[in-house]
Amino acid sequence: MTLSGIVKRFSDVTAADGLDLTVNDREYLCLLGPTGAGKTTALRVIAGLTVPDEGKVLFDGREVTHLEPEKRNAVLLSQTYSLFPTMTVAENIMFGPDIRKVPEKDKEQMLFSLLDLVRLTSRADSYPRELSGGMQQRCALARAIATSPDVLLLDEPLRALDARLRIDLRRDLKSLARTLGLTVVHVTHDQDEALVMADRIAIIRAGRIVQVGTPAEVFDEPVSPFVANFVGQSNFFTGTVVHSGPEGSVVEDEAGNRVKARPTDVAVGEKAVLAVKVGHTHLLKLDAAALKGKIERMLFEGRVVHVDVDVAGAGRFSAKIPASYRGRYQVGDDVGIGWNRNKAKVFPYPEGGLENELKVD
Amino acid sequence: MGSSDKLLEFISGRGFRKGWTAFNIIFFLSFIILPTVFILSSAVTDWSDIQEHVLSDPATMDLIISAVVVSFEIAAIVTVIDFVAGLPVAWMMARKEFRGKQFLDTLIDMPLAVPTAALGFSAAIFWAATPNPPPFSLSAISSPMLLIVLLHVVFSYPYMVRSLTAILGGIDETYETAGRTLGASRLTAVRTITLPLFRAGLVTGAILCFARSLSETGGTIIALATLYGRKMVEGDFQTGPTLIGLWKDASVADPTLVPALTFVSILLIILALVLLVVLKVAIMKVRVPLRKVWPSPEKLLSRGLFPKIKDTSAILFLLIVVIVPSFFIFTYVLTGTPSDADWNPFIDALVTSFVVASVVTAIDLATGIPMALYIAKNRTSKLSQLLDVFVNIPLIVPTAALGFSLGLFWNTVDPAAMPPIVLIILSHVAFTYPLVVRNVVGAVEGIDPAYEETARTLGAKPLQSFRRVLLPMIKGSILAGAIMAFTRSLGETGATLAVVANANTAPVFIVNLVNDQSYYLAAMACIILIIISYVFMLLLRRFTREEVV
Repeated sequence: MTLSGIVKRFSDVTAADGLDLTVNDREYLCLLGPTGAGKTTALRVIAGLTVPDEGKVLFDGREVTHLEPEKRNAVLLSQTYSLFPTMTVAENIMFGPDIRKVPEKDKEQMLFSLLDLVRLTSRADSYPRELSGGMQQRCALARAIATSPDVLLLDEPLRALDARLRIDLRRDLKSLARTLGLTVVHVTHDQDEALVMADRIAIIRAGRIVQVGTPAEVFDEPVSPFVANFVGQSNFFTGTVVHSGPEGSVVEDEAGNRVKARPTDVAVGEKAVLAVKVGHTHLLKLDAAALKGKIERMLFEGRVVHVDVDVAGAGRFSAKIPASYRGRYQVGDDVGIGWNRNKAKVFPYPEGGLENELKVD
Repeated sequence: MGSSDKLLEFISGRGFRKGWTAFNIIFFLSFIILPTVFILSSAVTDWSDIQEHVLSDPATMDLIISAVVVSFEIAAIVTVIDFVAGLPVAWMMARKEFRGKQFLDTLIDMPLAVPTAALGFSAAIFWAATPNPPPFSLSAISSPMLLIVLLHVVFSYPYMVRSLTAILGGIDETYETAGRTLGASRLTAVRTITLPLFRAGLVTGAILCFARSLSETGGTIIALATLYGRKMVEGDFQTGPTLIGLWKDASVADPTLVPALTFVSILLIILALVLLVVLKVAIMKVRVPLRKVWPSPEKLLSRGLFPKIKDTSAILFLLIVVIVPSFFIFTYVLTGTPSDADWNPFIDALVTSFVVASVVTAIDLATGIPMALYIAKNRTSKLSQLLDVFVNIPLIVPTAALGFSLGLFWNTVDPAAMPPIVLIILSHVAFTYPLVVRNVVGAVEGIDPAYEETARTLGAKPLQSFRRVLLPMIKGSILAGAIMAFTRSLGETGATLAVVANANTAPVFIVNLVNDQSYYLAAMACIILIIISYVFMLLLRRFTREEVV
């Protein structure tokens, strides 16, 4: 399935601005982006609920841009599940097969196996409002699968669930999709969810796809400071490239701080931004570190402690230390900051400024 | 593919859907809006006639002006009374829990079950100083103006209370609580915080009451005829709609009355529309100096006896002014003398009324639902917004003026093609259509479009998704609209008389009986009509309840 050059403008916002995306057969693709990036619009264009102003939608090479939603076999599961309140669980699940006039006997068998699959056999005659959030989610999923869709479109399917359940259901959903060999487009703004579930992640921003790749690729090889920060928070260091070679590069800021990074295409003398993941940033002894600062804030997060360090002239850097190291540092301590040079990537300085580049809305 | 599948395929196509929507919009514009305001064009085409027979005839002008002024005076007084007497009751319904609340709820709606013709008769024999008063009646009122005000309060009161209750229920009580924790007395908090918030509800309630009073014909004619003890004549107390009824009747013999009729109708329609806008702007925009606070007197009024007096007098008002006059007619029959009457004409009239009401409701549903769907689902389109405003016009225009305009329109188109019954049906469709559309629009807007969208992606065609997903969810509102339309058509007098002078529907039949002083027969006919309407009201309540659960 391919979206090519999709443009959709609403009266004052452009929700899709030349959006290109290909989804492979039996792939679990997460469409990840901040709120208002055009994720839902992209999904609705695939489903046929929104007709794009420009561009094409292709299913298996066949153009379906203007095809009615009911003829696409692309099933949408909305954020709120939209289980039909006037129908029971069984009636909801069998809605699609009923419409398609599947013979009674096949339907019965299908219903049994689907109810079994989503563990709702005992609740077949309940109404949606009598189900818990997780059950509703599973019922909606069963209803979507019942039509054996060519592509399953999930619009933030786990959003309405509480945090613990959400994490359990990630696994369930992923394994279900794999077992049934479904092609799935899963829209989310939660980077952890995308990293855990996706075969590939497509990062969307302001109506455009900025990067597509496996979770490891988008995490380790971000194409822009925005992606670096959106998928696993990053620290940034702004300066000028003073050295570039096959073994790595060096960036220096106005205050004279020099930090190392991996090799880069940015030419020596150009303004640049170095990005390194918070998780790859370490607190070091003062004499061993290139950057020095004062601990501004420490937040206990359970397994780890989040530490914000203010580096004079270079801004704030964050790091995570194991909870067991908690006693070693205190707010106001002077510490060093450092990282493995292979974990730091250098980008050309963004045109609109760094702050603008990192903005999520 | 079977032939039924092919049909489904065809009517699900984009082309058919567009055509169907266009058809319904055209129907609405050409069968409802255009005939309703058609008479305005007469102001241009027949200006010389109007000039000759009306403007240059001081006697006629006096009649018209005084009738129209009286109509607006009555409507204004009625609206104010409804508001003052209705607010405490609405407050109780929205905010308080007490024994008998359910009963009070039913009581408020009861006058809606009584067709206005029956209501007019019932209220008139209760209040009016008639030549032969029935037992237990007050027989105290001889001023026609006062009688009509009291009558109009009866049937507009429920609209006001319902509108106010709905909006009060939607206002978060925590604002008020916050005000009170900050030291305001209950009255101060209500007056400065809650009341300014519910202007919207007040607009709806005021417009409904005003329009209803301005429009009322049947009950008014009957009440006045009862008061006078004879059929009304030109020199009697007249409101705009009764004048239309009177002249329409006389115009069969005397065609020179047509320009005068036209002029009254135009005046009523234009003034009603202007008033709609003025009322809306006045209530929403005018800043009442509510900010000032008088802590000690307001504290005094918030406690002790005063709130009890307020609630008690509001309930007493409801019982004595609204409920008793509505049903007083039953006592009349218990003590009246049965006469050997010929029931056949009434049964004929009843059958006609039923046929009309059924056909009207069917047309309202068939074309009103698609219209409502279009309005509710295309909120951003200019056309939809325009139609949304247009739909209200027949609700505001006095039905007698509407009926006269409609009759004139179809006579201009083709006098032969429209038998009287069709004209009556079309005129009833015009003022009941908005009831169905408003109800359905309200319901559809409350439903997440994601339900239907999901159904579509699951493979349902538009018609299937409507029938299987949306329809079951809005069934209650459709029924509510249908029953409102049905009972409204069943009880309508003004439009019927204005479109066909010698129509034979049940309310017109009752008007004629009262004019002939056949009170016993009229009372029986009223009671039958009340019972039928009441059964429908019960059904309405049942179905709308179900939806809530």
